[in-house]
Amino acid sequence: MMSETSRFTEDILKAAAEKADKIIHEAQAETQRASDEAKASISREAEAIIRSAHADAEAVKRRETSEARHKSKLREEREKDVIMTEVLDHAKKRVLDMAKDVDKYLPYLTNLVESAIRQLGDQTLLVHLNKADMARIDRANVEREIASGLKTPIKIEWSKEPIVAAGGAIVSSPDGKTRIVNTLDERFDALESKLLIEAGKSLFGQ
Amino acid sequence: MSGIETVKVIVSAEKQAAKMIQDAEATAADIRKRIDSLIQQQRTEMLGTAKKEASALVQQAEEEGRREAESYEKESAVRTRELIARASLKKSETVEKLVTLVMQREK
Repeated sequence: MMSETSRFTEDILKAAAEKADKIIHEAQAETQRASDEAKASISREAEAIIRSAHADAEAVKRRETSEARHKSKLREEREKDVIMTEVLDHAKKRVLDMAKDVDKYLPYLTNLVESAIRQLGDQTLLVHLNKADMARIDRANVEREIASGLKTPIKIEWSKEPIVAAGGAIVSSPDGKTRIVNTLDERFDALESKLLIEAGKSLFGQ
Repeated sequence: MSGIETVKVIVSAEKQAAKMIQDAEATAADIRKRIDSLIQQQRTEMLGTAKKEASALVQQAEEEGRREAESYEKESAVRTRELIARASLKKSETVEKLVTLVMQREK
């Protein structure tokens, strides 16, 4: 039979064992909580890294495709420019060739001079031509055509100094203070943007 | 059992009990100490995995982007060739239009 002393010591040891268990369980529970909290926090951090990577990935992909689109667009524009420039050059050459044919050129030159006179609004004018036109153009005929077109008498003086131009004329007031430049070169410059738009429409349907 | 023997037995049991508690506290301290390095290790592993995944995602996107870009450029080159070929057929007609524009009478 167990003595009183034995029971007492057994109680002491039992209580100690229970306390020891409690101490260890508490430490385990405490570290488990800390571990769970840490895991949750690390998970959030990891998720943030992945989220940011998704955004970076999207941006990288967008950049690659956007650069490709930009490069392709530039290449297309360059190739269009080549064909537009070619067409414009051919058109200029055709007009300059036409200027060599006096029968076709004369009505055109007459129109350029008449248009300049209308803009100046004077009845006495000085007309400048290039050297080739000065030699080949029947000025009296041009004057008659212009007078007929304007339906008013005008006095044209023909400058003895040739201009440097592929064709066309410069018309000025007698004192030279006001002048309208209607040379072929000027006409091309003035019409360039319009010609490019028309060429774009005709070639590419723009 | 004499009174002295009884006291000795009890004192011995109390010493044993105190040792048990002391050992338990040492074990608890050890558990607490280990958790820091465990968390650090978990952190390194989890973030390392996340960074690898992130890097793979970006790399994959770069490859996809490059493939899409190449495919777009090829398609675009074909479209441009066709556009230029169609335009080339209209060159003469366009030159005529431009000449007419330059030559038309000004009002």
